[in-house]
Amino acid sequence: MQLPASMRVFERGWLSANNILFVGRIDTVLVDTGYVTHAPQTVSLVRHALGERGLDRIVNTHLHSDHCGGNAALRYAFGSRIAIPACEADKVRDWDEDALSYRATGQQCARFSFDETLAPGDLLTMGDLAWQVLAAPGHDPHALLFWCDSEGILIAGDALWQNGFGVIFPELAGEPGFKEVRATLDLIASLGPRLVIPGHGAPFTDADVALERAYGRLDYLSFDPVRNAENAVKVLLKFLLIERRAMALAEVEGLFETVPLLVLARERFLPLPSDELAQWAVRALEKAGAAQVQGPMLLDA
Amino acid sequence: MVPATGLCEGCMRTIDEIVAWGRADDDYKRAVWAEIRRREAQIFD
Repeated sequence: MQLPASMRVFERGWLSANNILFVGRIDTVLVDTGYVTHAPQTVSLVRHALGERGLDRIVNTHLHSDHCGGNAALRYAFGSRIAIPACEADKVRDWDEDALSYRATGQQCARFSFDETLAPGDLLTMGDLAWQVLAAPGHDPHALLFWCDSEGILIAGDALWQNGFGVIFPELAGEPGFKEVRATLDLIASLGPRLVIPGHGAPFTDADVALERAYGRLDYLSFDPVRNAENAVKVLLKFLLIERRAMALAEVEGLFETVPLLVLARERFLPLPSDELAQWAVRALEKAGAAQVQGPMLLDA
Repeated sequence: MVPATGLCEGCMRTIDEIVAWGRADDDYKRAVWAEIRRREAQIFD
């Protein structure tokens, strides 16, 4: 399915989420801005695609570091207004890194300010198309979806990918997440999107197949919360490994004593000494072909 | 981006290729993939 002419998708990778650029008659909007270490590249991509025009507005699906890490650099480059989920407003105003997820995950994000907030039920105009703002709790309690009814296009963030969805973080802290993910998948199913633009990976048209896989994945993870914790540990380690490209194995062990979410996962769900859990996680990434041990180093693969 | 080559360090695509990718057909993507493999070989040989 062809994208509307006013819409472009920059398919990035795992460290940076995808960016969706809207070029409308009146204004230009970018949905999500990637990870902070890629911010210069994000600015280049947007500048290249916009030519003479500036970027008027930035909108975030949620405030994880891989979705809003370019906010500050783009605002600096273009003077863009920034719109964030309303529930995150106080945390961003005070730049509360404990309440935002950056300290907990060991990830980085450049501080930014905002001009507008978005809440479920709001309507946005992006690329001359009308988009509804919908709630997508689960992966992040305050995440949003953007739904264009006239085109049948869903901007899903990390609520639905072609193969799964983002880590269910709230469950790690003992907060509900599984039933929220199910409700969000039900909502997406009820929309019946013709095209889904996920936060990571290529846009896809077979939403039914993706939903079926996502429900299966949810059943698997929620059957035993230890599985969710194991998945979170692997994903968090892989993210830090992509960011750093290589880490000393001793440093990996240290992560399980210092990165709050890894410590929490260990204490609540995976009661192993940190060195043993580190070894397990390294082996799991190796088995998945996501990392490679070379001497005293763990390399991204 | 690597300044010397103008390539993204992760995906080995140029800015032009990343911008074009979202609207590109499979032939374009296959051609870029072939080019990526060639670039990788050049760098890692």
